[in-house]
Amino acid sequence: MTSTSLMMIILVILPFYSWCATPTVAANLSPANIDGLKAQFQTAMKSFSDVASIHYTLAGIKELGVVPPDTYCNDIKKLVDKSDVESIFHATEAARALANCKLPAEEYRALLTSTLQSDKSTTAEVYYAVRASVNLGLNVDESRVEKRLNALAKTDDSVASQGYALLTGAQLSQPIAKFYADTINDLVQQADEVDGRTLQYEGGVGTTALLVNAFYEVAEKAGVPVKIDPKQLIKFASYFSTKRHVATLRSAYYLTKVFKYLSDRKNTIPVVVSRTTPAAVSAQNPSVFVSVSNLFGQPVGEIFVVAESAKRKEDGAVVISKQKLTAKDSTSSIFELPFYDAKIPRGFYTIHLTLTPRGDEKLIGLTDNTIEVKVTSEAALENAELNVADRDSTAQAKTHKLTYPNALSEKLDLHSHQKLIIKFQVKDKRTGEYVRTQQAFIRFTNKKSKKEIIYLAEAVSGATAQYKAEMDLTSNAADFRYQSGAYDLVVIVGDSLLQNAFEWKVNDNVQLTFHEDSLADKNHQDLYLPRPEIIHQFRVEEKRPPTIVSLVFSGLTLLPLLILLVSWLRLGFNLSGMPLGLSPLVFHASHGAAFALMFVYWKYLDMFQTIRYLALISIPLFLAGHRVLAILAARREKKV
Amino acid sequence: MSQVGQVVGILRKLNGEYQSSTPKKLKLIDAYLVYVLLTGIVQFAYCLLVGTFPFNSFLSGFISTVGCFVLAASLRIQLNKANQSVFNVSPERAFADFVFAHIILHLVVVNFIG
Repeated sequence: MTSTSLMMIILVILPFYSWCATPTVAANLSPANIDGLKAQFQTAMKSFSDVASIHYTLAGIKELGVVPPDTYCNDIKKLVDKSDVESIFHATEAARALANCKLPAEEYRALLTSTLQSDKSTTAEVYYAVRASVNLGLNVDESRVEKRLNALAKTDDSVASQGYALLTGAQLSQPIAKFYADTINDLVQQADEVDGRTLQYEGGVGTTALLVNAFYEVAEKAGVPVKIDPKQLIKFASYFSTKRHVATLRSAYYLTKVFKYLSDRKNTIPVVVSRTTPAAVSAQNPSVFVSVSNLFGQPVGEIFVVAESAKRKEDGAVVISKQKLTAKDSTSSIFELPFYDAKIPRGFYTIHLTLTPRGDEKLIGLTDNTIEVKVTSEAALENAELNVADRDSTAQAKTHKLTYPNALSEKLDLHSHQKLIIKFQVKDKRTGEYVRTQQAFIRFTNKKSKKEIIYLAEAVSGATAQYKAEMDLTSNAADFRYQSGAYDLVVIVGDSLLQNAFEWKVNDNVQLTFHEDSLADKNHQDLYLPRPEIIHQFRVEEKRPPTIVSLVFSGLTLLPLLILLVSWLRLGFNLSGMPLGLSPLVFHASHGAAFALMFVYWKYLDMFQTIRYLALISIPLFLAGHRVLAILAARREKKV
Repeated sequence: MSQVGQVVGILRKLNGEYQSSTPKKLKLIDAYLVYVLLTGIVQFAYCLLVGTFPFNSFLSGFISTVGCFVLAASLRIQLNKANQSVFNVSPERAFADFVFAHIILHLVVVNFIG
């Protein structure tokens, strides 16, 4: 009834909607973004700037089943840096991905040998040299390499170094490979667990993928299965499956290799379970379709899927128990679960699925798979009516019965002493009960300015759930900024569990007449325009009297001086007794100088300078003055 | 009516006494005192008329008149032979003090006048 901020409502509704829109946080894995990886490689193939990119792209796309043309051989030869063992490594790997690309082995032999013999090469460099030598068909001194790796294991214990050691071991003989394969578990323990759901290594997806890839490579060479605890393997798989887009080609390449290993029938395969139908279950989409595959999106063999339970989010009510899903195709990759049923009420549901493989496939991730769905129903607006009542007396209410979707044909004229009330009910067509919805508003749109004023319709509690929205032309006039005129009136009803939403134009000519004068709309655009400039105003000077006045008074001040002179003359002032001589002269001169100094001080000097000058003048002043006064005193003594 | 007449009579007597018994030197100083007083009154009237801006100038001018008045009055007291029992200074010494004090006063006034 009251005008509430639309934003507040949206903030309440938004969590509900966003829940439906975004994938939920489940233990489920999702299929790898194979197409994305392929596209990344294909884009990179258009132009190469360094030999590492060639390596990752060509080798990567070969893993995905596309054989790159041999023309890239020239690019490899052009971009390789013969003085860098890593560069040589990338070049040989890239050449390996092509059908027919031979690199000049003799040119690299010296550097590779020296790298392997040096005491300063890092584990990565050792790996590059060994692998490049193997690729080129050069001999490798295995015992020397083994010694070097052992020495490095003592000094460099970072996971990356250990990974490279594993990769190097995979290039050497089987016993050495087996030795390294036994260290896989130690390395797995060094991984970081995040949120209890994923495992990763420091360094991001590239390093993690490189390491997991190393596990598989060395185990393959050793002829043993990769010994990783299934729970931890699922966590690794979980980490990788969340990487939909990777930034670098290196990450993309190793990620591709990891997905391939994790989908290889020889190894333990994590199973991916995901919903293929939209989240909303309704009469039109009564079933939930689930896909079961490996990370590559391929089927995993014959498998049985059972829905253990389907719990409603609101109250935890369980609606399904141990229901089998039917396979829709022969490869057992799509399963159907009929969900739309009279016994299943509206709501958000979490379905727990358990998978059981038929054979002895090495599958993991068979439990703890959840699917989120929502059961919606169709709704109808019923018993809608529009009342025009007087503010003060509720007795005389003019009622118009409304039927969705018909609009009210007559023009509504409302004045400031009236109020408008809209009532309606929302019925669930399936169950016949009256429901409350997340959104129920009435909206007035000013036909001229297109401004919208929205009011909330509130439901009374109880089974009837009747919605009522009220607009009072006096108390709500400020919302309209007192702008009288023609308005559209629309009823809006919506809910995430309703199949259909309503935007029902009830009337398109509602004349509202407000008592007060209309105010202009607040222009919200102005917020970001420059504001009016603030011009600094200096302190206003105090008013001075006109110059004439001050001049007159200056004259008046000097007037008493005349009076003084006149009265002195009248009294008989004379200078007859003034002594003449040097001392009186000096006295009078220095006295005059002192007063002159005062004037100069006022106009030009500061206190310190004046004090100095005054000190200078006062010496003769006092000396002479003393002498003059002594003369006068002597004269007086003589007279007496 | 009679009160006014009494006051006028007293004033006339006072004036007569003053004219006859005061030495010339003191009369000169009295004239000076009247001059200073008048100057002070004019300044104050100006301030009342147009306001106190700039206040420091008004103050320094007014204080200057007040200071001159006080110094001249003290000179008069010291020169008055009737007071010789209280003050034991020679007229020359009084005059020297007068000049010295005036220099200080004028220094301060000019500093403050702005």
